[in-house]
Amino acid sequence: MRQSTSESLTAWLFLAPALCVLGAFGLFPIGYALFVSLHDWRIRRGALLGLRHYRRALGEPEALLWFVLGCLLIVVVARLRGSRLLHRLSLGRCQRRAALALLLGLGLWLALVPGLRGLCATGDPRLYNGLRVTALYALATIPVQLSLSMLLAYLLLMSLRAKGFFRVVLFLPYVTPVIASAVVFRSIFSPDPASLANRLWTWCGFGQLRWLYESRSVVALLLRAAGMQAWPVWIDTFFPSLALTSIVVYNIWVYIGYDTVILLAGLSAIPRHYYEAAQIDGASAWQSFRHITLPLVSPTLFFLSMVAVIGTFRAFNHIYIMRTAGARDSVDVLSVTIFDVLFENHNAGYAAALAFVLFAVILALTALQNRVVGKRVFYGD
Amino acid sequence: MGAAISALWSRLALGILTAALAAACSEGRQPAATADEVERADPSGQSLVFWYQHTRERETALLEMIRDFNRANEYGIQVRGEYAGDYDAVYNKMIVGLQGGTVPDVLVAYQNQARAYYAADGIVALDPYIDSPRWGLSDSARADFFPAFLQQDRVDGVQICFPPNRSMEVLYYNRDWLRELGYDHPPQTWEEFRQMCRAAHRQPFSRAQPGCRSLGLLLEIDASRLASLVFAHGGDLLSASGDAYTLDTPQMRAALGLLVELARDGCLEQLGEPYGDQREFSVGRVLFVLRSSSSLPFVAIAVREGGLDFQWDVAPLPSVSGTPVVNVYGASLAVARTTPERQLASWLFIKWFTEPEQQARWVRASKYFPVRRSTAASLADYFAGDPQYHSAYRLLEYGRSEPSVAGYQQVRRMMQEAMVGVLEGDDVDRTLAQLERRANATLVDGS
Amino acid sequence: MATRPAGRRWRRAAVYAGLSLWAAVSSFPFLWMLLSSFMTRGETLRRALWPERVQWGNYAEAWREASFGLYFRNSLVIAAVQVGGTLLFSLLAAYPLARLRFRGRELVFGCVLATLMIPESVTMVPNFLTVTWLHRATPIAWLNSWPALTVPFMVSAFSIFLLRQFMRSQPSELWDAARIDGAGHLRFLFQIQLPLCRAPLLTVGMFSFIGSWNALAWPLLVTNTPDWRPISVGLQQFVSEAGAEVHLQTAGACIATVPVLVAYFLLQREFTEGISMAGLKG
Repeated sequence: MRQSTSESLTAWLFLAPALCVLGAFGLFPIGYALFVSLHDWRIRRGALLGLRHYRRALGEPEALLWFVLGCLLIVVVARLRGSRLLHRLSLGRCQRRAALALLLGLGLWLALVPGLRGLCATGDPRLYNGLRVTALYALATIPVQLSLSMLLAYLLLMSLRAKGFFRVVLFLPYVTPVIASAVVFRSIFSPDPASLANRLWTWCGFGQLRWLYESRSVVALLLRAAGMQAWPVWIDTFFPSLALTSIVVYNIWVYIGYDTVILLAGLSAIPRHYYEAAQIDGASAWQSFRHITLPLVSPTLFFLSMVAVIGTFRAFNHIYIMRTAGARDSVDVLSVTIFDVLFENHNAGYAAALAFVLFAVILALTALQNRVVGKRVFYGD
Repeated sequence: MGAAISALWSRLALGILTAALAAACSEGRQPAATADEVERADPSGQSLVFWYQHTRERETALLEMIRDFNRANEYGIQVRGEYAGDYDAVYNKMIVGLQGGTVPDVLVAYQNQARAYYAADGIVALDPYIDSPRWGLSDSARADFFPAFLQQDRVDGVQICFPPNRSMEVLYYNRDWLRELGYDHPPQTWEEFRQMCRAAHRQPFSRAQPGCRSLGLLLEIDASRLASLVFAHGGDLLSASGDAYTLDTPQMRAALGLLVELARDGCLEQLGEPYGDQREFSVGRVLFVLRSSSSLPFVAIAVREGGLDFQWDVAPLPSVSGTPVVNVYGASLAVARTTPERQLASWLFIKWFTEPEQQARWVRASKYFPVRRSTAASLADYFAGDPQYHSAYRLLEYGRSEPSVAGYQQVRRMMQEAMVGVLEGDDVDRTLAQLERRANATLVDGS
Repeated sequence: MATRPAGRRWRRAAVYAGLSLWAAVSSFPFLWMLLSSFMTRGETLRRALWPERVQWGNYAEAWREASFGLYFRNSLVIAAVQVGGTLLFSLLAAYPLARLRFRGRELVFGCVLATLMIPESVTMVPNFLTVTWLHRATPIAWLNSWPALTVPFMVSAFSIFLLRQFMRSQPSELWDAARIDGAGHLRFLFQIQLPLCRAPLLTVGMFSFIGSWNALAWPLLVTNTPDWRPISVGLQQFVSEAGAEVHLQTAGACIATVPVLVAYFLLQREFTEGISMAGLKG
């Protein structure tokens, strides 16, 4: 139809300048990285290796196959749950649920046991350690960051005195140069008995800790404080180290201002008369929040959560600066490992392959997030 | 018609195949310049670019020296110095430059970086220039260099870069405090070192602030510190032939054992903050500091302005053999592959920079150590004014360096993890066995 | 029913306490930076809390040592160009992604987001190659000049994303009304939608400004001469191999941070314009 083609044309015209720049400086690097990752590339291009870097990084192809199969099965189960396919088969409700549970269990088992475990055993331990630390870092940072900034944004919107002052001060962490904030936080989380963290900790009644230099996990330290001398390995694997936790605190401190400012912008779009109408109807503050604020700010929240996931998985600068020898590899997120491979091993080909694996992981997570959370976002009318 | 098309396709296919093969073949390295080419080259009038990482006073002094070279050199060579960032930034720029951007003529590089450049044919071997009868170093000049320094920049028998200056690891000690503890000399044996550390822990410095902790040594977890300790115990990190790491050795065990013992006695702690040991030393809370000599000026200022202004000096680590062994290191200068004329001109600049007269000048400005022995002749007044520098200078003769093999950077990280592990109670035997195994694995695949 | 005055006061007190605590936590590194910039080197080494005497000289020395005058000008120009470009291109790009229907919309949006997902250490080399090629192939100088420093960052996927979210949350009646009046998309975007997007546009501009101001690795790569070096490179001057001159480093950092703070302070009311949560008072 003429209208939709003219709309198409307008759309592409509007997009043209941005797509030109993004194509050259955003998409071309991705293609280039892929090209590099297929070669033995130290500084100059060497032999074509095909997927050998990926094989070295990820592990046995069979394990990868099982992992992918397992994930596909889980996706199928999720799809089946909502579809009418099962209703057509004349199964009872219990039987349907049992079938789904069975399939889900099988999918999980496939993905984890022959899949993930096989991959970790045959792949590059640096890659899997990098992914593990990145996941822990993201899980520790994102929920805290988002809820704290939501709270702060909300508080800042109340009519208070010195609102302007609070809003400026809140943004200071984001604008304070990293050199300054890193020095201060390194000194706070120093293993020195006189450091701020240790002083606070001993004042609370606990012993001294090594903070940024502690590679054991927080749970392991708790167990040690409780008197245990040895603990299973998974305690250190599935929980963040104290060093990583200190860095998480630092990062939350830096980025809360950023999140809050964006939330404020989003909250400012909510027309005032909605609240007035709600007040007339007798709604409490919590009800206003839940039924007006939350839905109307959900596009911004969705944006922030996506940006947070992408951002934490990519995070490099603040982590690299706070890295210490004492933390061993418990703070090495994948971006840091990629940097090491590039600058210490001088292996651009392998670094590009690792970067591509990270890219794929972030892509998958974003797609998943879009699907699961994106549906709940409320857009305007 | 059909035949023509299929002929076209097959020619196309052949063309693609050839191109793919050509692309797939790794680029070989061009051969080093022949002696003939070097003799015949004419360096006059060349314009060179020099990438450095120095800032502030060192940069100012360097630029002045470059200006003087431009004015005075008989070939009319003009050098332009450019601040290219820190070592990582220079490396980044160089690898990007090697792939299609601009490369400088002379650049600063650590040995592992130079190695990577050399493997990519980005820099040239310097032997033809050093050995050249017309342009190279005379026998007496070559003998004038501290041997360890030149050796460190040789890889597989090829001189891939050249040292403009060096630093070394020394033991800083608080002389006044040591006197209070009853000693009038720095530690001569490891047993003495242990005793001094324990004594320092028991008896704090009289002028230090009371109530703070008092330590013998505040140790930075750094592979160079561990290397220094191993060297001082008579060991090495690499086998004599240079093709295997020797990290599970009695000397390494002795070094780590010493650290564990001192930590257990409470007189050694791991460094908690960058430059924390310098700071603690300057306020009299730490008796010994093991650090690079490039910290000399900073420690001097710190001690003076820290308020206590005590007497301090530097010494080598105690040695088991009687003669001291010090770990020397530093970045070097590499010459990029450009044109024969520019390469020669670059070498002439480096040669000029490492002459004793220029070295003396550079030393005064940068507080680094020179690479030629005869520099000492013109530094008498400087030595008088800076006794700690003089103490360290005397140790240059006994230098030994860490490995320059590929992948050593990663092995450094492994060594640091081993240090931390052992200090936290890991089993020494298992740690060292694993360390050596993993280190040698990097030699195999180049990682 | 109005809440009891006592309960209301207690709640306000709690709000103030919470915000004050957070304000203290947010500002102390900055305060440390500020205080250290006025100390002597000895005081920074001794970890003194207050300078005995205010050392204004630190600022003069930092300014001189790091060619701050030139770098300041460079940073301002680079930031202005980058922010301007970002606002224009992001607005133009976000509109069709939010409001227009065309085939491939979701794919384009996906591609835009994908550019965010690749780590930085890997994008620097290809971007440098692109810029070098442009420098050679076009009559404009890219390297050592403002184009290389600004154009690669002029289109930010964050900005497009944020603006798109914002536009999507606006009622679609606006466009219907404008169309009836005979306005085309372009006029609608710039005359009606743009003024409404003030808050997110200012947010985008602010973050783009900060990003440009603090960028270090890329400017180091694309500038060989001091002509177009930004201020972040100047700060590097005070970091050396064996010790940092903290008093000068913090003075330099304060100088570098001031414009950002000033800009934010002037704009922070604009971010929150139009907010009046009458129902949440007390």
